[in-house]
Amino acid sequence: MGSKTEALAKQFEKVFDDLELVIGWETGFDSLHATPAFIRQPSALGRLIWNPFCSHNLSGYLTKTLNATAQEDAKKIGICVKGCDSRSVVALIQEKFISRERLYIAGIPCRGTVDLRRLMRLKPSLKDVNTVHIEGNELAVETARQTHRFPLQDVLLRKCLQCRYPNPVLYDELIGEPLTPRVTEGQAPPFVDKLEAHSLEQRRVFWERELDRCIRCYACRNACPLCVCQDNCILESRMPKWLSQRSGMSEKFFFHMIHAVHLAGRCTECGECERVCPMEIPVALMKEKLNQVVKELLDYEAGLNPETQPPLLTFDPSETGI
Amino acid sequence: MTASAHNPYRPELATIQEIIQETPTIRTFRVVLNDEEKMRRFSFQPGQVGQLSVFGVGESTFVINSPPTRKDYLQFSVMRAGEVTQRLHQLSLGDQIGVRAPLGNSFPIEDMKGHNILFVGGGIGMAPLRTLLLYMLDNRQDYGNITVIYGARSPEDLSYGYEFDKWRTSGMDLVLTIDRESPGWKERVGFVPTILAEVAPTPFNRIAITCGPPIMIKFVLAGLKELEYEDHQIITTLERRMKCGIGICGRCNIGTKYVCVDGPVFSYEQLRHMVPEL
Amino acid sequence: MSGTAYITHNELTSALERLSKEMDVWIPVETGDKKWGIQFSKYQPGKAPLLERQSTTLPKKVLFPQVETLLRFCYQKDVEDRSRVTIDLKDLEDMAPAMVFGARPCDVRGFLTFDQVFLNGLHKDPYYAQRREKTLFATLVCETPDSACFCSSVGSGPADQAGSDLWIIPIEGGYLIESLNERGEKLLPKMGKEATQDQIESAQRFQEKAANERVGEGDLTRYVRAFEERFSDKAYWRDMVSKCISCGICTYVCPTCYCFTITDEMKELEGERLRSWDSCMFHQYTQEASGHNPRPTKFERYRNRVGHKFSYFPDKYNGMISCCGCGRCIRSCPVSVDIRQIVRQLKEEAGDCVST
Repeated sequence: MGSKTEALAKQFEKVFDDLELVIGWETGFDSLHATPAFIRQPSALGRLIWNPFCSHNLSGYLTKTLNATAQEDAKKIGICVKGCDSRSVVALIQEKFISRERLYIAGIPCRGTVDLRRLMRLKPSLKDVNTVHIEGNELAVETARQTHRFPLQDVLLRKCLQCRYPNPVLYDELIGEPLTPRVTEGQAPPFVDKLEAHSLEQRRVFWERELDRCIRCYACRNACPLCVCQDNCILESRMPKWLSQRSGMSEKFFFHMIHAVHLAGRCTECGECERVCPMEIPVALMKEKLNQVVKELLDYEAGLNPETQPPLLTFDPSETGI
Repeated sequence: MTASAHNPYRPELATIQEIIQETPTIRTFRVVLNDEEKMRRFSFQPGQVGQLSVFGVGESTFVINSPPTRKDYLQFSVMRAGEVTQRLHQLSLGDQIGVRAPLGNSFPIEDMKGHNILFVGGGIGMAPLRTLLLYMLDNRQDYGNITVIYGARSPEDLSYGYEFDKWRTSGMDLVLTIDRESPGWKERVGFVPTILAEVAPTPFNRIAITCGPPIMIKFVLAGLKELEYEDHQIITTLERRMKCGIGICGRCNIGTKYVCVDGPVFSYEQLRHMVPEL
Repeated sequence: MSGTAYITHNELTSALERLSKEMDVWIPVETGDKKWGIQFSKYQPGKAPLLERQSTTLPKKVLFPQVETLLRFCYQKDVEDRSRVTIDLKDLEDMAPAMVFGARPCDVRGFLTFDQVFLNGLHKDPYYAQRREKTLFATLVCETPDSACFCSSVGSGPADQAGSDLWIIPIEGGYLIESLNERGEKLLPKMGKEATQDQIESAQRFQEKAANERVGEGDLTRYVRAFEERFSDKAYWRDMVSKCISCGICTYVCPTCYCFTITDEMKELEGERLRSWDSCMFHQYTQEASGHNPRPTKFERYRNRVGHKFSYFPDKYNGMISCCGCGRCIRSCPVSVDIRQIVRQLKEEAGDCVST
């Protein structure tokens, strides 16, 4: 293993002269946690890693921490993207928050990333991991003593189980060979369909139970690369005030609805909102549902082509049926 | 513990007795506490602040800008900016508000005795200075010569205009300035720090007190240093977003200091030992 | 001499049941079906506490609810003169006694920070004071530290009894409960039968083993000056904090984070003044009405968080660190920001520490 990790570092080394920095992943506070890395010196490229723990979508940093718009004399920003992450980059380009010319994109075909909490449930004692990789339909986690194997079904992030874009849709260099999607269109019902099979009342109960846990830390919003309003989010606006500080169901529900609706036709299903939720609320389901609606109504999927205009970002007075 | 024990979050109910439109955006409210006994016993030091409540909208912090020597009402000057101040501006005579006061520290009036005084105020920053200024006029014999430099954007933006003559006749030197020329304006024109350099009051045996927008304070501090004022001769008041006003809620800290209880009054000497996060 | 009681695993829920007749009993339970997380909830019949790992969220809310009512107010129109409006004001209400069963030493130690600020300052907070007075803590000696834990680095440890009233020690077949003070002692008879000498000795051995355990590397208690010296090093904070996403998780899951906001809510003529958790990670936290913000970006905000816990607080309160080393801010952080590393590197030479 490690070959993609090495290839990644090598690739960035080659082009580093043109780069201001590289955003990738490195090992975090323990061997199970990867963490975003901001690398400003070529000598530190060795810190970069790539493995199934690299679940973070790094594209949000292009607008929220850095400014990846075109600027005279500015060097490029190097960034590592998986298939899903690349769609966020495309969407941000479409919405003109970042510019393609400012980016050097290393695209990584991805077999899926791990939901650490699912993994911990299966093996709470897991630690001191040497390597982790995907072999066929299993996650192989090698510790000093033994190699543990887990069915991918049981340990991947929910978004990865329904992934149709394992290959980056936009890149300057592809690290590794393209993969066949785990799920193709029309195959395996997405989670939304499963939930929709239930009655309205059952779904209300489901969402009340899930959202009841929300602590309104706003991590789902802040982690979302397409939540671009940043410090000007209407949820925190005091004038006008849309949301009270109360922590009842209506506030929680309202917050998540606002978040979801603002992502209709924009969400690229990177699943960050759900991954970062400390309370394990499947918040991405709401956006997936909206994406289904957008697909049906407008035949559009966000973040696939930087040249196209997202339908909800344009206005055509002659449009009918909406 | 019973519900009647002292609760620092519980405001006293008060009635608006008088409203003065100072400038297009500043209104002065004179209020009296509904509880007559509490009003009679109310005491404070110049520089201390109060939290005014519009119940249903919220609370905001304002300096008590009537001097402690004049006790028939408490006065607050309010510039319309956020939601509480907007709502305050809509209130009329007889309306009920809440008051939590006095809070915070105060100007070192004892240490200032026997000194010459320089006030440098800009815009709404004149509000806390007025408290101290009137206090000094009421105790005129305790203080040396007093110079006031007060600036605003335009003549209409100067508060307390109706008092200027009285200030002048009470034996102080009042220098007024506006940012840009205006028809009929006979006083000075220019930003406060520029006028400070022109007037150049000597630092000899003097304490300078400055209050205004952060950018003005920054340049006034530099100007005073230019005039060779020592750090301990310069006093200012700081503003921070506050909630509890009693040193608990945490948001108004500058390093270890809490503006709500350790301030709002700080000497430049103190500021220089605080973390640079203004 | 402290008293003891022994509860078997099987009797645990019935003991909690008995206690819950007299007080709210908060226990750690799973956050949801098939979820990894644990949260504190009021005991309900049949619910057993989950004690095998640290909870995701804290019992902090028992003494400091995420939202609580400070005041209730009601505008009343004068019957004779409709333009005359008076206000009826109600404040502190009586709260039920409570017990937190099964928190860990780090969860409870956080209240020592609260005590300094809410009880021992210039003004006493009557809401917190009442809850503190009426709440008991039965705390579990901790035997399951993980890679994010660092309680020993901040002057605490897995057997730290500070802030607790009762002590829960796992032994063969159940738990030995030991009282740590008089109010804990009073509850012992309701919890179980008296422990045997063997059980007491076994508990002692367990306790000693935990007390000797060192959790976390190094000592993070002496960084007051190092922080001050690093304060203006922009590159340091850029490199340490770039990955932060400015969410409120670290503050909401922190046992010592106590900052709050106060807001009014109104419906027609009635309303409430609420106190709710706030987060210094949020832009709005220090945003002034004028538009000025003294901490405009995440770099200043995170710096303030580090400063508050490891420099400002100990500077003000005789060296007391406002961090219990529970590791939740690290464990729950979506991007694994590691406050231990940020503090530790404060002392390294500028240039060395900065990731290159």
